[in-house]
Amino acid sequence: MARGSAEAPGGTKAPAARPAMSRVRDWRAWPGEVALLWRRSLRFRTVLITLALTALAILVACVWMALAIQNDLFDSRARQVQADALRASVEAQATLDSAEPQGSEVQLQNLLLAVGGTIAQQSETDLFTMKRSDQTPSSIAPPDLVSGGFESYVTVSEAMRAAVQADASRQWWQSVSIEVGDRSVPGIVVGQQLQVPELGTYELYLAYDLAAAQQTLGFVQLTLWVVGVGLVLLIGAIAWFVLRSVTTPIGEAADTSARLAAGELGVRLPVRGEDEFATLGRSFNAMADSIESQIKELADLSLVQQRFVSDVSHELRTPLTTIRLAADMINDRRDEFDPATARAAELLNAQVQRFETLLSDLLEISRYDAGSVQLELEPTSLAHLAEDVIASMHTLAEQHGSDVRLVAPGGYSPVELDPRRVRRIVRNLLGNAIEHGEGRPIVVTVDSDQQTVALGVRDFGIGMRPEDVEHVFDRFWRADPSRSRTIGGTGLGLSIALGDARLHGGELAVWSEPGRGSNFVLMLPRSGGQLTGTSPVPVEPGDDASAPLDDLGLTQPIDVQVTDAAASDSRSDADAPTAGGRS
Amino acid sequence: MTSRILVVDDDTALAEMIGIVLRTEGFDTVFCADGAKAVDVWRSERPDLILLDLMLPGMDGIEICTLVRAESGVPIIMLTARTDTADVVKGLESGADDYIVKPFNPKELVARIRTRLRPAAQPAGEMLRVGDLTVDVAAHEVRRGDTVIALTPLEFELLVALASKPQQVFSREMLLEQVWGYHYKADTRLVNVHVQRLRAKVEQDPDNPKIVTTVRGVGYRAGAVV
Repeated sequence: MARGSAEAPGGTKAPAARPAMSRVRDWRAWPGEVALLWRRSLRFRTVLITLALTALAILVACVWMALAIQNDLFDSRARQVQADALRASVEAQATLDSAEPQGSEVQLQNLLLAVGGTIAQQSETDLFTMKRSDQTPSSIAPPDLVSGGFESYVTVSEAMRAAVQADASRQWWQSVSIEVGDRSVPGIVVGQQLQVPELGTYELYLAYDLAAAQQTLGFVQLTLWVVGVGLVLLIGAIAWFVLRSVTTPIGEAADTSARLAAGELGVRLPVRGEDEFATLGRSFNAMADSIESQIKELADLSLVQQRFVSDVSHELRTPLTTIRLAADMINDRRDEFDPATARAAELLNAQVQRFETLLSDLLEISRYDAGSVQLELEPTSLAHLAEDVIASMHTLAEQHGSDVRLVAPGGYSPVELDPRRVRRIVRNLLGNAIEHGEGRPIVVTVDSDQQTVALGVRDFGIGMRPEDVEHVFDRFWRADPSRSRTIGGTGLGLSIALGDARLHGGELAVWSEPGRGSNFVLMLPRSGGQLTGTSPVPVEPGDDASAPLDDLGLTQPIDVQVTDAAASDSRSDADAPTAGGRS
Repeated sequence: MTSRILVVDDDTALAEMIGIVLRTEGFDTVFCADGAKAVDVWRSERPDLILLDLMLPGMDGIEICTLVRAESGVPIIMLTARTDTADVVKGLESGADDYIVKPFNPKELVARIRTRLRPAAQPAGEMLRVGDLTVDVAAHEVRRGDTVIALTPLEFELLVALASKPQQVFSREMLLEQVWGYHYKADTRLVNVHVQRLRAKVEQDPDNPKIVTTVRGVGYRAGAVV
């Protein structure tokens, strides 16, 4: 029985764990696999819990039923046995009472045999004995009556004999084991006094075996366990199938919402019937509809806005061209005007140019927003490009008293990039460095590794506070509004530079500390790939602003020749934003 | 002799201002504000150069460009408010020689016009040979055998530039400087589009060019003389 109960949970666990086992050959992985299933699969967990609880309940019920049946079987057998024994003993006593042996040993012996015959006839067992209670030897007493080899099968305990000897009026019984060969069968011994004439008190013991009841009990118990185990398995299977109808829609819903979250706005849950899942499906679909329409609305709105900015920029261009031509013409003749008008003409001309720059920056930004920018890649050497830009900005640097130096340990081999945009980035960074460099030297570093080419522009100027660094790429943001704008950018320069860098799959990083200056690093992946790992030019410079420039490493003053080409270069990108304020 | 320039632009203020600038520089100007009439005006006035706005009422600049090109190689410079790739390329493919993005300054405009009106001086009387073509520089004529191939002045100049130094590979920047007069980084699409147009006229199989060959990653060179 005990073994049966131990087997029940083990046996029930097997079907649930089987799919996992067939996947995993190595038995040592099973515990991990089962634990994983337990965490991951609602169905597995629920089925397992259901099985365990059902098994426990059925076990308790079976044990209780088995015990009840056992008791009932024993009690009824015991009552039957007692009645049987009573009938036999009453008949035996009647036989004894009617006899008159007259002290003859032979007659007494015959009397006992006759009594034995009566008992054998009246009771259903032939396993009995009659023992004389008085142990004193008697000359006429025949040997004790033993039937069916009683002594060799059954041992009557001394306590029972004492109880039977002590009370003549009662029947006593005791459960014993009947030894048959080397196996024992449960049995009941019933004992009672009989009065034998002339010989006094005899004790009658009748032994009944319970083999039939035992067999019945065994059969009933076996049936119980078989039915119990069957029930557990059945309930497990039912739970498995019922849960499947629940977990499958849940899994479907989880998949669908994951796809929706990933941006597939068109996905919907199938709605079947009227149950809770149908309700879930309907509300999910309603949510998806609403998200889709709102995203579409926002996208439309932003498209309209982008188109508006683009249209405005374009529409402004024609009148601006007229103004530009007129302003230029008037400015060319300012010598003919009085000083105030001449100055007005100068201002008009300068501001028209600024307006133009602002407009083209705005247009560029609107192109990024619209995602309509296309790179025109050609193999370009970043080091040579940096050299060009430094040369073209030589005059500006000189005006601010900044010494611009190029350090280029690498980055000479051509890389696929859009030179117009990269030149614009470098010009912008350098312009910022010159404006904020406080007349101190500026170091431009170009280097490369296997995946990346990088360009750093380091100034030793006033630097920026950390909260300013965060906003440095924001549109129209300025580090210090109170500072006068000497170069006069549009406030869009750095955000355009960042846009250009990202368009190349690259990145623009910044380091700055008040009093130590700033370092802007442009990183571009080779062959239009993705940026990986570290920059060949460190974003955080390990140098010290107080160190003399000659200690900075491999710096070398570059040979700057202000050529015609360089001079006109600054003019060439009239439609491309040039050096702006740190914006 | 003063050059006559046709300004096709629907914005009268801009057209007038351009007129002022050009007259100051000694050009003669004619105006047309309606795209639909532009071709007629061009036929009656026979200007030396057309400044053509791309966005016009009636007929757009690209269409006008195509119609004019069908009859003449007169230099056409587009005025465009859009720098979007598609528009510019479409304009160049329809036959415009050059383009200027609004807003522009007067010096830039005048420089562009002068380049187109006065092609770089060529050594007179020279006969160049490229592939199976004969180029008569003085007569401005290109012949395959006895057949004369009609080229626009720009295309002719491009071919002469390549043919006069058959050993040299010309980068797009060099051609921009020599043929278009840009002394700084400009739009290399100008070169690409015009090389395609030139090939369409002079090559027997434009997909397998023999006259203007591409040197990958560098530029173009003239084909070997046959």
